[in-house]
Amino acid sequence: MIWITIAGSALATYLTRSLPFVLKPPGRLPAAASRYVDALPVAIIAALVGPAVVAPGGTLTRGAEPLAALLVIGVVWWRRSLLAGVIAGVAAVALLRLL
Amino acid sequence: MGTTVVVGTTFGVVARQAGLTPPEIAGMSLLVFAGASQFAMVQLFTAGAPAVVVIATVLRHLLMAASLRRNFARVSLPRRLAAAFFLTDESFAMATGDFRRGGTGLIYYVTFAVTLFVLWNAATLAGVALGNAIGEPRRLGVDFAITATFIGIVVLGIRRPTDAAVALAAAAGAGALALAGASTVAVIVAGALAPILAIALRR
Repeated sequence: MIWITIAGSALATYLTRSLPFVLKPPGRLPAAASRYVDALPVAIIAALVGPAVVAPGGTLTRGAEPLAALLVIGVVWWRRSLLAGVIAGVAAVALLRLL
Repeated sequence: MGTTVVVGTTFGVVARQAGLTPPEIAGMSLLVFAGASQFAMVQLFTAGAPAVVVIATVLRHLLMAASLRRNFARVSLPRRLAAAFFLTDESFAMATGDFRRGGTGLIYYVTFAVTLFVLWNAATLAGVALGNAIGEPRRLGVDFAITATFIGIVVLGIRRPTDAAVALAAAAGAGALALAGASTVAVIVAGALAPILAIALRR
């Protein structure tokens, strides 16, 4: 099952990379469609964050995850570093869960 | 390139902690080679996120490939198809810069893109080894690493106020839906609706 998903994702991903080099694109996308597709990845990833913060592992958070999430936003914004944010977030969650 | 190493290592750690086997993790980095969608796949295997989420994260390739189409037309079709496999946000940015400066061949793009591919896979393996060494994830907060990575990707991906509005709407919407008990459709509904804000706000 996992390998089928991996193969399917690999194929789908490759098609999005290669099709425009093979087929002629049907003119330019309308501006609205282009904006939609451009905003989609950030929206999808942000949507993955919401449930993981308010209900990690399917149970209501006791506060550690939302606080750590705010910290991660602050650290990544300030340092422009993904690594700094991940380290700060993981450390914060570990500490807050002890409380 | 630094980002590639950091995100690739994080991916290896997170995927290993999520219980995927080293061959599965290495296979994902070798065959899919798309950061956000590989993380989304881990979510899919562990939290049951729907498969459309994975596809949605790679749709942007269509726009990048379409924009490079004219420059790639100079080489033969098999070469174009091989070069396409290595297309990522970073290699797209580098190639676009090169073509704007008057570059004509694909050597610049291919060198950079293949280097990223090698780094990504080496970093993934390093992360797998690290993930093996960490042990029990929850106690150390390592299970939060994937969420923190997603937050970081979103924050670094925000270029204008509209992006921030879209991200907040998507996160809040999906969180609310999950709390309301609709966790299976939360991500895809919120993720698909929030970008409409980008159209509405930028008139």
